[in-house]
Amino acid sequence: MPTTSAALFSKALKLSLLLAAAVAVAGGGIGFLIYGTPGLYSALIGAAVAAVFGAMTILSISIGAKLPLGGFYGMVLGGWLIKLLLFAVLMGLLQSATFISGPMFFFAVVASVLGGLAVDSYLVLSAKLPAVEN
Amino acid sequence: MDAVNIAELSGNIAVVGYGLAAIGPGIGVGLVVSKTIESIARQPELAGRLQVTMWLGIAFTEALALIGLATPFIFA
Repeated sequence: MPTTSAALFSKALKLSLLLAAAVAVAGGGIGFLIYGTPGLYSALIGAAVAAVFGAMTILSISIGAKLPLGGFYGMVLGGWLIKLLLFAVLMGLLQSATFISGPMFFFAVVASVLGGLAVDSYLVLSAKLPAVEN
Repeated sequence: MDAVNIAELSGNIAVVGYGLAAIGPGIGVGLVVSKTIESIARQPELAGRLQVTMWLGIAFTEALALIGLATPFIFA
């Protein structure tokens, strides 16, 4: 059970990556059964995208926490801006791709994002953070 | 565009979807972070807890953006 915010963020990072691996395996299997090879690729890309983006949020906050307030602000919102730009470019590239299956990609992203939210909420609720750190 | 059909648009409507999917969560994340900065400035000793709460707020808000940006894959 994490007792500092830094410990909580590092545990969250590990659990998010584990969840993405689970979605990749389960989604890849389901996708392969329903859509064949494109379904497998879609689930893998969807899980990877959600994992990278979840990890970027956690990293931007934990790196930003070591900076003064202005740096923290820039790190978190700058990280968010870069993330959305990357995501929009990736979506644009994947829209014309023939090696993925659209619905499978969508459901893999949604499953990873919602699973990530469940993991994050569980971690925050179970953490015993002191009112005052340092 | 002819004189009768003045509301004619050309291009991909998914682009409007991208914009809508980014604007709401953009405002939301900006608010979450700005309020956290404000709170840390008032009570710096609470920074750790505030950052954790902020992280959960960002995660929930950006979920909308990620799902919104991926919707053209099922509605196309």
